[in-house]
Amino acid sequence: MSGMPLLDVDDLQVTFDTASGPVHAVDGVSFTMAPGESLGVVGESGSGKSVTARALLRLFAITDDVRVSGSVHFDGVDLLRVDERRLRKVRGGQIGMIFQDPLTSLNPLMAVGEQIAESLRLHRGMGRAEAASEAVELLARVGIADPEKRATELPSSFSGGMRQRVMISLAIACRPRLLIADEPTTALDVTVQAEILLLLDELRRSEGMALMLITHDFGVVAATCDDVQVMYAGKLVEKASMAHLFDRANHPYTEGLLRLVPRFEDAHTGRLHPIPGQPPITGGGGSSCAFAPRCDHAFDRCHQEIPPEVAVGPEHLSACWLAADRAKDSTEAGRPWRRA
Amino acid sequence: MGMQTTTETSPPSQRPRRGGLRRWLRDLQGWVARLFAGESLRGLLLRRLRDGVIVLLLVVTVIFFLAHVVGNPALVFAPVDATDEHIAELHRQFGLDRPVAERYWEYLVGLAQLDFGESTWQQRPAIDAVKEALPSTIYLTVVGLGAAAVLGVVPGIVAGARARKPFDKTSNLLSVAALSVPNFWLGLLLILVLGVQLGWLPTSGRFETASIVMPALTLGIVHGGRIFQLVRSATFEEMSKPYVTVARSKGLTEWNILRRHVVRNTGVTTATIVGWEYVRMWGGAVFAIEYVFAWPGVGLLTIDAAHRQDFFVLQAAVIIAGAFVIFSNLLIDMGYQFIDRRIAAT
Repeated sequence: MSGMPLLDVDDLQVTFDTASGPVHAVDGVSFTMAPGESLGVVGESGSGKSVTARALLRLFAITDDVRVSGSVHFDGVDLLRVDERRLRKVRGGQIGMIFQDPLTSLNPLMAVGEQIAESLRLHRGMGRAEAASEAVELLARVGIADPEKRATELPSSFSGGMRQRVMISLAIACRPRLLIADEPTTALDVTVQAEILLLLDELRRSEGMALMLITHDFGVVAATCDDVQVMYAGKLVEKASMAHLFDRANHPYTEGLLRLVPRFEDAHTGRLHPIPGQPPITGGGGSSCAFAPRCDHAFDRCHQEIPPEVAVGPEHLSACWLAADRAKDSTEAGRPWRRA
Repeated sequence: MGMQTTTETSPPSQRPRRGGLRRWLRDLQGWVARLFAGESLRGLLLRRLRDGVIVLLLVVTVIFFLAHVVGNPALVFAPVDATDEHIAELHRQFGLDRPVAERYWEYLVGLAQLDFGESTWQQRPAIDAVKEALPSTIYLTVVGLGAAAVLGVVPGIVAGARARKPFDKTSNLLSVAALSVPNFWLGLLLILVLGVQLGWLPTSGRFETASIVMPALTLGIVHGGRIFQLVRSATFEEMSKPYVTVARSKGLTEWNILRRHVVRNTGVTTATIVGWEYVRMWGGAVFAIEYVFAWPGVGLLTIDAAHRQDFFVLQAAVIIAGAFVIFSNLLIDMGYQFIDRRIAAT
């Protein structure tokens, strides 16, 4: 990371007030992204990774009772504090977003070309005809055959993978500087998954976009991202470069997640290693390490104090009381999670 | 009658062979199933028509026997000081001395030839009285529905789009009040306030252009309340769909999301809701409202005919109203199916 960051998130807190009390979905998350950088955000369901992404653009449901604090500086402007009008210019114009379920992400009664053109007319000031032909170009860019004809069709005549391609063309339509992809491949077949990831990576390079990829799947991050950060219960527990993390995962939670990636070498045992227990449903906001109840290495202090982020290597942070010890171990033994 | 159409599966087709009653019945059943089942619009139309005829026949039967068993028009028609002989004479004149079953059969045969019988009170064909009243009722229900649509649809969309905001809460409360209040009571209240105390509007009859305002407004408020509820929840549901979040992430304004996406997608549902409300109006409120405002329509005619035990007018009015309901139902259903299929086909 060098130069001025494109995105600078500082102490982001998102709290939902629900009938059963407040849920701290995001609990003090800070990170930066440089232009053109690709960042993977990994965590289980409920770890707060999707909410983080939505909070960047203040995309909440109309009925959400939500409190957001901290700051999200994009290109020097705090998105949490700008007025709706300026925010709408950023949405779709500067930051594009792709969502998890391509089957429900498109308006079922509007031709896909029209849905793309809508963005173009709004942000790039194109006329009707110009936007329509640009939409066809975009469909071609994301690998949709016969785009002229397909642009006039409704989403129902596209397969899941094709719809996700449409979604991507929609998100990149206005050449955003940051593309946020929230579990873009979760709902897709494995082969289609690979195609979509390849497409995202290629677009990122050709357009010079930064890419924030949210997923629960380390395999997806490994294929696409330079850097990765792991979230648990609304907090960042570890961040590092992808290569570094795979070699020297420090946080016990990261280690647990990495063990969950099915490995060819382990095929004969046919066994995965799930992390016992569930993430807390109320998110963060506690006064101890949120992962402690599920952690094999937890000791007294873990249950009493929140561990700070500790540097355990170059641009490698881990929020664990054992971070320093474990870092030493891993340099000596290498890839501790592989021994499992 | 529900909005969903059930798909009947035809039984395995059997070659017609000589055999017992059972096989013959099975063949007949298969034939009927093939005639009415299937996904074609024509098939659906035929099935709905068949259902409509059955329902009408039931309506005719029930109303005929109710009237003829309970009432005696001769007693109502005769002067107060009429002698027993006089009444017996009237009885014969009206054909009431013959067995009920015979009269019922005769009536059905007449109906098949579109002969609805004679009015005992007005001394003219019963259907003429209904024909005279029908335009007034259609006029009232159409204007009433227009009022209901204006009061229900637009606020419903706004409330659904701004769920749990003050406007939603207020309008929701008002609509619940509107649909909970008995329609005739609301009518009386309007008469009292707008007609009697303020003297702005005529209170009864149909003598001037403004006569329509109060009865139509009453219908509009009562049915608008229901339309509001349904449109609000349809809009709210649509607003909660992921594609709306996507539209928001594209940078569209809430107004454009509503206009370009949500309202467009709930259009068919809204049209159906309004259509059903029209049918519902014919099923009840219009009768009470016509009576309250002395509006010279089918409702008032029906109630008057019941009071005077003018059986044939009563029957004709109920049958025509019933046929109207069935026909409107059919139109809505076909329209809905048509649009739905066109959507599914593209």
